Amino acid sequence: MWVLVALFLPLFPLSVVQNMLLARIPRPLARSALLLLLPQVGVTLLHTLHPPIPGFLVTWALLSSAFYALRLLTVRDLELWSGLFVSSALALTWGVAARGADVTTLRLFAFWFSLPATLLVLLTASLARRMGAAYAGLFTGLAQSQPRLAGVLTLVVLSIIATPPFPGFFALLDILHGFGGAAALSVLGVWLIWGWAATRVLQGFNSSNGREISGGDLGMSSVVGYAVTLVVFAAAGFLFTRGGL
Amino acid sequence: MDKLTILLPALPLLSAVLVALLSGGSHRRVARTSIILSALTLLLAVSALALYLRDARPMQVSFGGDWGSLYLDPLSCIMALAVAGISLVVHVYSARYMAEESGYARFYVLLDLMAAAILLMVTAGDLITLLVAWHLIGVLLYFLLSHDTRRAATQRYAFWTFFTYRLGDLPLIFAAVLLYHAYGTLSLPLLFEHITATPDVHAVFGMPLMTMVGLLIVLSAFARSAQFPLHTWLPYTMEGPTPVSALMHAGIVNAGGFIINRFAPVFVNAGDVLHLVFAVGLVTAILGSVLMLTQNDIKKSLGYSTMGQMGFMFVECGVGAFSLAIYHLIAHGLFKGTLFLGAGDVIGDARKDDGVPHDDVYTFLVERRPVASRLPWVVAAAITVVVPLAVLGVSHWLVGGNFVGQQGAIILLFFGWVTGAQLLFATYRLRAESPWRVMTMIILSLVVVVAGYTVIEHAFDLFLYANRTLREHIYAAASIPIATFESLVAILTVAIVVGWLAVYYTNASGDHGNDRPSALRLAFYSLISREFYVADVYAWLTQMVLGLSERLNVWSRWV
Repeated sequence: MWVLVALFLPLFPLSVVQNMLLARIPRPLARSALLLLLPQVGVTLLHTLHPPIPGFLVTWALLSSAFYALRLLTVRDLELWSGLFVSSALALTWGVAARGADVTTLRLFAFWFSLPATLLVLLTASLARRMGAAYAGLFTGLAQSQPRLAGVLTLVVLSIIATPPFPGFFALLDILHGFGGAAALSVLGVWLIWGWAATRVLQGFNSSNGREISGGDLGMSSVVGYAVTLVVFAAAGFLFTRGGL
Repeated sequence: MDKLTILLPALPLLSAVLVALLSGGSHRRVARTSIILSALTLLLAVSALALYLRDARPMQVSFGGDWGSLYLDPLSCIMALAVAGISLVVHVYSARYMAEESGYARFYVLLDLMAAAILLMVTAGDLITLLVAWHLIGVLLYFLLSHDTRRAATQRYAFWTFFTYRLGDLPLIFAAVLLYHAYGTLSLPLLFEHITATPDVHAVFGMPLMTMVGLLIVLSAFARSAQFPLHTWLPYTMEGPTPVSALMHAGIVNAGGFIINRFAPVFVNAGDVLHLVFAVGLVTAILGSVLMLTQNDIKKSLGYSTMGQMGFMFVECGVGAFSLAIYHLIAHGLFKGTLFLGAGDVIGDARKDDGVPHDDVYTFLVERRPVASRLPWVVAAAITVVVPLAVLGVSHWLVGGNFVGQQGAIILLFFGWVTGAQLLFATYRLRAESPWRVMTMIILSLVVVVAGYTVIEHAFDLFLYANRTLREHIYAAASIPIATFESLVAILTVAIVVGWLAVYYTNASGDHGNDRPSALRLAFYSLISREFYVADVYAWLTQMVLGLSERLNVWSRWV
């Protein structure tokens, strides 16, 4: 049964199955829906099992999270990047579960990381339509040529890597409070690498070091849509996480 | 008063929103909106300080939740005033300076957000608000520094800054978690009350809680204030726009000194950590000053000068003179901000006139002026050694009767003496028509500066740390065994006096050693020119991590 849960709340090597599945789905909307749905299935299964979760599984989850965080550093394909990030972030759900959190807290924890990932998947599709592939460093200068798209991409990436005021920040504070000691230090390490990976990928799109992107900018209606989603997301974080600690 | 406090970070935030909405309009409208709201923020900060001086009691404003509260005490009032003032100057300067740059509105949005984040940090009334603001400053600084997306160097050094700041965020987060875990409250005033009542509730990793928390806080402060070896980002941030350099050197980089002051009750019970702060500050001050002297680029030289000043600020914290560090950071912020904003004019002037004085023959024959001379070296050396110490000692003695009895004060007098001596030596080297007159004027200036400095510092101490017991406890925590201390002071004094005499003698006799530099000197110079290889080590480590990441991706076939 633990194996089944590890398929949905990805732990390496079972996470490979989820990543391959996501990579094979061509439609961004379907991929987004799966990104939102799969972790919730995992949480339901985990709740059915009724923890206590064995200590070795929590250690394995932390290692798995660190493994995917490290890999993010050299990934330039934004589609792959969002998949690997979700694998790194959702592995931490095991840590929240291990300290006996209720099912709502677990569901919310998974949601705080999977929602921005779905937004990134949708943005990846926008970029791919304009550039042929959403590949950091291939075409650059997004901030100059398509400032609205660059702005939204930046905000979505910041929300993914748990930057305040987005809920991921408070969710990580909560997990740190639950862990304490060496486990907390490893979560902090993973968080640091997320920030590093995010800057690398953003610089790959926004700075002008190579061939510049051409094509139309994101429409105003799309910008408003993303902005409203992010504002509501942040507000929901304030409401439900209560600061994390 | 409550509403005023809330508006302090809210006004710049409102400005950012308005500027974002106006981004399609003219530059003038964008700048005007931002500047007007910045001026209002400054007025608000002045009012907040005035109201505090009238009521003389700290105040916490909460929005009803577990976090999101603001706290107005002497520290936050004085810091808010400094930040709002510097922010307004930078806003006004940027209006014309950035006019030719692309992303004008984006720059102002980021500038306003940064002002809001710094004001939120200095007025934060609970741990979460502090962490949010602390974290956001690093993120916003990254985007401000990388404003020019066309230059690879700008992007690279903005990333260095971001990464170092993130490295510094994490210890503070861990410290906050430990404090909340131990005392069960997020509110800073409540937390400090609990810490004072029961400082050592339990141990973490085999260390007393306060030592561990203090260590984490100073690690965070080291990264934020460019302490060795986390300093490499600071001199290279000159690649960013000049107004950002000014804001950073005048305000953001000082956050280390602020955070140590904010958590002063922790350090009362973490004396060992203060000794570490002293040591790191001292190393940073020396290295920063040495590196500053070897630069030929004015902005980079200013960057290393900031590093040295930050080191000195940490030395002050390390000896327990917390309020002095705040005075120092505000004074440094004002003069360094001025230097950065004036750097362009200095470069322009230097292109017109190199400023090199004419030689003696030209001065005598063509300009018909007497040839410049110097004081006898023995007299100048005696003045250099004695005068600064006398001036500092007397002024401190006048302010507080037992001031010199404290170790921290003695060390500060010591540094003051060395700095004063350096000034007098520079005067000696100047060569003037009337050397006695110049020396007298310089000594008078020194007296005025030191007396003013002592009185203001004393006033700062009374204002920021009205609680005399807390003041004394901080000094006590920073103390080391008296025999060790006195031996150290004696050895250093002898070394410095002998050093000065040697410098004067060499300078007066014109014997600068062989023209061919020794191998040791060359090795030292190359060490400095490579900035002690710290950045090279980081680059090597970065490549190692990226290489590992790539190997892992290849091994797992990118899925």
